[in-house]
Amino acid sequence: MRTLKSPAITIMLLLILLASFAMECSKTDNKLYKWTVGVSLLTREHPFYRDLEAGMLAAAEKDSIRLVIDAGEWDLEKHSKQVDNFIVKQVDAIILCPCDSKGIVPTIEKANQAGIAVFTSDIKAMGGKIVSHIASDNLLGGKLAAEYMLTLLKGKSKVAIINQPITETAMSRESGFKEVMAQHPDIEVVACLNGEGVRDKAMKVMEDILQSHQQLDGVFCINDESAMGALAAIEAAGRSDEIILIGFDAGEEALKAIKRGSSLKADVAQYPKEIARLTIETIVDYLKGNSVPPSVPVEVGIVDASVIENQKAAQN
Amino acid sequence: MTVGFTENSGSGIVTINNYLSLVQKYGIIVAFIVECVIFALWSEFFLTVPNIMNVLNQVVIYGIIAVGMTFVIITGGIDLSVGSSVALVGVLTASAMKIGFLPSWIVIPLGILIGLGIGSLTGMISGFSITFFNMAPFIITLAMMTICRGAAFLTSNGFAVGDLPEAFSFLGRGRVGIIPVPVIVMLLVFAFGHLLLAHTRFGRYVYSIGGNEEATRLSGVNTKRIKFLVYVLAGFLTSLSGVVLTSRLGAGVPNSGEMYELYVIAAVVVGGTSLSGGVGSIMGTFFGVLIIGVLYNGLNLVNVSSYWQMVILGIVIVGAVLLDQFLKKEK
Repeated sequence: MRTLKSPAITIMLLLILLASFAMECSKTDNKLYKWTVGVSLLTREHPFYRDLEAGMLAAAEKDSIRLVIDAGEWDLEKHSKQVDNFIVKQVDAIILCPCDSKGIVPTIEKANQAGIAVFTSDIKAMGGKIVSHIASDNLLGGKLAAEYMLTLLKGKSKVAIINQPITETAMSRESGFKEVMAQHPDIEVVACLNGEGVRDKAMKVMEDILQSHQQLDGVFCINDESAMGALAAIEAAGRSDEIILIGFDAGEEALKAIKRGSSLKADVAQYPKEIARLTIETIVDYLKGNSVPPSVPVEVGIVDASVIENQKAAQN
Repeated sequence: MTVGFTENSGSGIVTINNYLSLVQKYGIIVAFIVECVIFALWSEFFLTVPNIMNVLNQVVIYGIIAVGMTFVIITGGIDLSVGSSVALVGVLTASAMKIGFLPSWIVIPLGILIGLGIGSLTGMISGFSITFFNMAPFIITLAMMTICRGAAFLTSNGFAVGDLPEAFSFLGRGRVGIIPVPVIVMLLVFAFGHLLLAHTRFGRYVYSIGGNEEATRLSGVNTKRIKFLVYVLAGFLTSLSGVVLTSRLGAGVPNSGEMYELYVIAAVVVGGTSLSGGVGSIMGTFFGVLIIGVLYNGLNLVNVSSYWQMVILGIVIVGAVLLDQFLKKEK
């Protein structure tokens, strides 16, 4: 009896589970959606992308859009398969955050041929027909970093940039920074070297800059990894007090360094939820038949110790 | 570092003779001196004690790996996994040091041991596959390269592992007098490598395998054992380099070490070691590493753009190899 009873109960439980699941599904299906949008994210693991996904879902809910979200996880093949699925499902639009700006082009062309509007969010594509690209305004980020640095610099100052002149986002951050600094004759940009966006290389480059510039007042790094490498070099050289370091991305590690009063004074932060909101907004605009701009720059902001304090206070 | 340059050619098995060896070694030193003179004239900061210490300190990471790579290349092999291995070692060393409930005098040695162990293990896997499954060194170490990189990202979730115990920073950032601790470690490794390669039976077998593996085997040498040990040595030294880098950065960083294999191989080749095996020396590698290290440092001091730096590095590698070929023909 006992052996018979337990499978029976299990099966019943399973049936109940299945039924409730089916009901749940039909409930959501019953809700009226105007449009369905397929999303192929870069990844679902990075906190930035978790925020982006959450932001898209929240915005879509408001505009009664159904989102079908998947992620390529740095695999071009996966992006391509997900877009195939979207084409089969006949979605109204596709949002891509491609892992490879060039490699994604054939996938985009596939969607173009199926007559589905393609949008890119956060990461650009180098071809295919894109209705609109929605991403952080990196040029503005560089400008904000420069303006913030100017408030801390006193008189004639020498600043350096640790860049990565092979990626487009890094290059616009750099030119934004340079643009503002060029308007200030007191400021001299004495070095502009490639840290390759990684910590070990950035540290090395920073060590060399410290050698050749006995006076150095500010350093701008195009991302947090470079900033952490530069910080390690500055601290090892014991020149934390003289140098104002500014990074980009406002990741956890950088925020910690800002909080403990290190040479890193501020970071430029991107707002993934804002990118998400504007992405959905642009798509809705487009689907309603309005014309949309080919590129939508999203606000970025400066995070320094006082901003972190305020955020903490707001959370408590 | 006044160890003679000719010792390694004392043995009969070595395929190059005394004279050629001298010319080749002096060729490298001449190239190095010319390079230093150019930069000394170009930048007033180049020939200062702090910058000399800075350059030595910077070449440590490549230098330690290059010693192991010299052994591997002399046997006619190659190790492409070194850069990724540095990253994996860094992440695991740092993670071990974050075991919260243990005191720092336990976690620091534990982390270092784990780091050194993992590097030696990757060396063992490569060495074993090469000697017992007859896999091409290029292929198995290429596979190890992607495996180690993936493992480094997996074990760290893609984020740097930071906030390491304060005392650990001595290895990477400490100084004895004016000499940085990593530089002392590197000089010891070079001295050890030189003695092992030029003054032991093991070293002579390494040359001999690179010269003619079959003949070496037929003369009764256990060539498999020697080759296996060479990859373990390379793996061990790579992990030592990874531990020093972790201490320097104050974090285990999964995307560190990228392209190290190419810089290290370039330094070894510029130092006169032949990619076809059988020829090379640790002293040559020492100067090869310095030539490339000084090149980057000097170009950074005078703020040459990175696009030009790439081009110049390539030209220097080609130039060094041409000089090498030219000197051989002269003979």
